[in-house]
Amino acid sequence: MKFLLTISLRNLLRQKRRNIFLGSAMAFGVMILITANSFSHGVSDIMFNKLIVYMTGHVGITFNEGTGRRIPIFRDKERILKVIQNNIKKDEIADVDEAIGMFCRAIGNGKADNVVVVGIDMSKQVSEELEKEYMESFNVVEGSYDDLARDDIENPVLLSRQKAESLNVKRNDVIRIRFQNVYGQDMAARAVVVGLMANDNLFMQGVLFVELKNIKKMMGYRPQECGNIQIILKNPVRDAVKTADRLHEALNPGPAFIAGTVRGAAKAGVTILPFMADNDSKRIMRESFKLASGRLDDVLAKDGVMIGRRLAGLIGAYPGSKISISFKPRFADKDASFTCKVNGIFTGPPDEEEKLIYMHESLFYKYFYSNLPDIIKDKDKAYIPPDDSPFSKALGTEWVLLDRTATTDDATKKEAQIAKKKIKAMTMDVNTMYETASDVLKLEGVLNLVTLIAVLILFFIIVLGVINTLRMSIRERTREIGTIRAIGMQKRDVRSIFILETVSLTFFASICGVVLAFIVMELLSLIKFNVVDNPMGILLLNQRLHFLPTISGIIFNILFIILIAAATAYFPSRRAAAMSAADALRHYE
Amino acid sequence: MKKILLIIMLVFITAAAEEIFAEPSVIDLMKKVEKIQEMTTDIRAKVEMTQQKVDQGIKKIDMIYYRRDSDDSFLIVMVAPESDKGNGYLRVGENFWMYRRNTRTFQHVNRDENIGGSNARAQDFEMRKLTELYEPAKTKEGREIIKEEMLGKIPVYRFEITAKVTDVDYPKKTYWIRKDNYLPLKELSYSLNDTLMGTAYYRKYTVIDGRYVAIEMLFIDEFEKGNKTLVEISGISTEKLNNYLFTKPYLENLSK
Repeated sequence: MKFLLTISLRNLLRQKRRNIFLGSAMAFGVMILITANSFSHGVSDIMFNKLIVYMTGHVGITFNEGTGRRIPIFRDKERILKVIQNNIKKDEIADVDEAIGMFCRAIGNGKADNVVVVGIDMSKQVSEELEKEYMESFNVVEGSYDDLARDDIENPVLLSRQKAESLNVKRNDVIRIRFQNVYGQDMAARAVVVGLMANDNLFMQGVLFVELKNIKKMMGYRPQECGNIQIILKNPVRDAVKTADRLHEALNPGPAFIAGTVRGAAKAGVTILPFMADNDSKRIMRESFKLASGRLDDVLAKDGVMIGRRLAGLIGAYPGSKISISFKPRFADKDASFTCKVNGIFTGPPDEEEKLIYMHESLFYKYFYSNLPDIIKDKDKAYIPPDDSPFSKALGTEWVLLDRTATTDDATKKEAQIAKKKIKAMTMDVNTMYETASDVLKLEGVLNLVTLIAVLILFFIIVLGVINTLRMSIRERTREIGTIRAIGMQKRDVRSIFILETVSLTFFASICGVVLAFIVMELLSLIKFNVVDNPMGILLLNQRLHFLPTISGIIFNILFIILIAAATAYFPSRRAAAMSAADALRHYE
Repeated sequence: MKKILLIIMLVFITAAAEEIFAEPSVIDLMKKVEKIQEMTTDIRAKVEMTQQKVDQGIKKIDMIYYRRDSDDSFLIVMVAPESDKGNGYLRVGENFWMYRRNTRTFQHVNRDENIGGSNARAQDFEMRKLTELYEPAKTKEGREIIKEEMLGKIPVYRFEITAKVTDVDYPKKTYWIRKDNYLPLKELSYSLNDTLMGTAYYRKYTVIDGRYVAIEMLFIDEFEKGNKTLVEISGISTEKLNNYLFTKPYLENLSK
């Protein structure tokens, strides 16, 4: 083998000029391939770690408590964070954020513009690496990022230089913003500019950043409540889907109930359960319940309430009478109470007759979410009918967990179906970037495809060069082939000499190509692009092209090229080896 | 004895006078406002909105509005500008769709969807009673905030109300209503932190089937000064509307 390699290398040196030209072409191709792949990786890095991180997170948990309008709220932040903590390994997770943002009309100094206000949690401890990344992304050029956390300034905000220009504001100026809070009420607030960002990321140019606690207050969230959750993973491509699946399983809701006291003529302990209003649930309720008095149609109406016969007797309730219900909310010192009208008295097992009130979901969830009871603590004192009860499927749960979907299209279909169902309970969806940020990911796929096609065209040309060079080489060395075959060299060795010759040339050219690629990437990274209001700005990092070469990628590319070259060289080499010694020796040009 | 009788008479007269001349309660006024404007029939009307925005000039939006309260339905068909012509908004019960003529598609939308790019939201066209949404605002001492005063040359009651539900645009409002017939003349809308967001002037009313209908209203944006919208309502009909009006095919056929 060493002997064959020596001959191959010697042959390479015999045709220096030709091989230098061919090698240069190969090195150029390798340089393009490595540079393009590094650029593509760089774009992926920007997409996954700098765009999606801020847009949707790698995994998201979204809530919607509204039917007429979207109300992204979860009433027990601590509980959801605990589920996340218990179901994602510490070494997989980089960060967990509340995704709270709002569209606003902003008025600066005589100029108005539409803006998006996004909350940043300044109280959270993040790793140095992540903090450095945040700083790079924000790129605050005037003022200070840390001023966002100041309490002595009214709603401190950071904004891009472009937005500051469109609002005609400078540092320390006041911006007035109009927005809708989480319930849809029109609100107004003042915000003070504490810093300006020089940001090349188009998605961040229209955003005003404020401290999370300030935006939550403006939006009407109470301290124990949270908005949609974004989870940032260390290895999103590997972990996003499986993390979402795991969370989805852990977020299965329990039964919804209110355990409290009912007051009519007398008072008694009671558990209130919601029944759902879809057609299937209504049918189940009709089939499962018999009324001692009242009409089932009234019970199944929007404000329908039915009470057990024994309980009705105990508190003196009858259809048309009003009852008052009070219970201890999880997050308030005072009891919450509400009044409702009884529409029917049901009969059933003694326990159910004595302890239960069934309420239409429209009515129930209004009181349930506005003063969330302590479900976990109250479980012992509540009476929940067994799971195998014929009507248990018609009863409401703490929330409705939507099915997992894989793509944006599936997620859109799911949303449309849910909108039609008019679910009154809060809906909860666990999603990944593949559903929420598929457009961004598609852009990455398109870039990769364009790179691949360009490189394949380039290599087709190079392959033609290799074939042509080999053919010339074989033709020129036909008599030499005859000689070495005549003195006893085997066909296989002749073939190997030519293949080794090509492989060696490709290898050296690849090494040169890699070195060239690094030089080119370094030079291209020095160019600063002043991209404003251009979508292509998302491909830049700090106004420069972002290349991210990887060792595995480079090795793969070199092996790929060598493989192509060897495969290309195989057929002409086999033809050379297959020549008879006598014919080869007779060959004359 | 005479003296005692006189004192008793005086007490009664004072009490009666207080009763006669006492300011009505805010809740009574709210109910009266509701009652004089409450329509019990179906409605069809032409609505013209002239919207003036700073740096954007004047935009005119015309639409036909159909409302049937018996099943909580309404239909809005855009007539102008040309770019919006044929588009529509249909609400039947809890379902609310937006129709786009260009794509011939219906899309489920929220109640706070802006109508034809104007400041008006879909929920503004719903029939929701004032007393279901608001209650009288009270001072620290627990008294209702109500005053008698003059609005220009017209004697009015001025009162303040606060929202008792969360899904309203403005959590606080101040009304000026005429003393003689309880018609609202002016309305101020405030955000939760007491910022004045908008002023509405109800400039003209007409009487349809014994009920008052505001036919010219001016909405002034107090947040972004210079923005205002004039709403004019004409061609009001209270004839019963056909069922087919509140269907998707009707809206689709309009743009064919």
